[in-house]
Amino acid sequence: MSFREKCAWISFVLLVLLAIGMAMPGFLSGIDGLHYFLALLLGFALLQVLLRVIIAWQAPKDARTPKDEREHLIDLRATRIGFYALVAGVLLSMLLVHLHGNPWGGLHSMMLAVLIAWAIKFAGEIVYYRRGR
Amino acid sequence: MASPPLTNTIRKLRFEHGEMTQQALADRVGVTRQTINAIELNKYSPSLEVAFRIASVFGAKLEDVFTYDGDEQA
Repeated sequence: MSFREKCAWISFVLLVLLAIGMAMPGFLSGIDGLHYFLALLLGFALLQVLLRVIIAWQAPKDARTPKDEREHLIDLRATRIGFYALVAGVLLSMLLVHLHGNPWGGLHSMMLAVLIAWAIKFAGEIVYYRRGR
Repeated sequence: MASPPLTNTIRKLRFEHGEMTQQALADRVGVTRQTINAIELNKYSPSLEVAFRIASVFGAKLEDVFTYDGDEQA
């Protein structure tokens, strides 16, 4: 498995964990909720850096190699899928705001849409890396 | 998903060039080993630039390395 495929796995798994954390009851309600959210984000960022440093340390040459044309293509194709997911998620969130009149809930669902779109992007990368293109 | 309509002789050429490894070829072409593997297995069609670079490493003509089979598949 290449360095970038491992990075895609790390990002995908951590984004799913972050989305699960955001789905917990009490998320973003009051000051405790805000602290919980900031702790989640900090943990997400720290784990991303730590795990990427570990896999770069295991395969330094692979990590230093710049992206080639196939990897750029995989990135672009996966980003396109993620973009469609993001647009669908944001439109759905706007619809929910109109239906329920709860802007706070709409904000929450938009954040979730961003996370899901990123997760779909990385899932797409993993699938393309597995296929070889 | 259908394979790209390109076949190649990279595996044979690597063998004829002293069992050159995929990594050695990748380093000389300027791509990753995984990309050379994907090209070799006909999973990925390289750009013209990379195709020419691969042919150049083996000192061969492009048509000696890559063959277009699109018309046969159609």
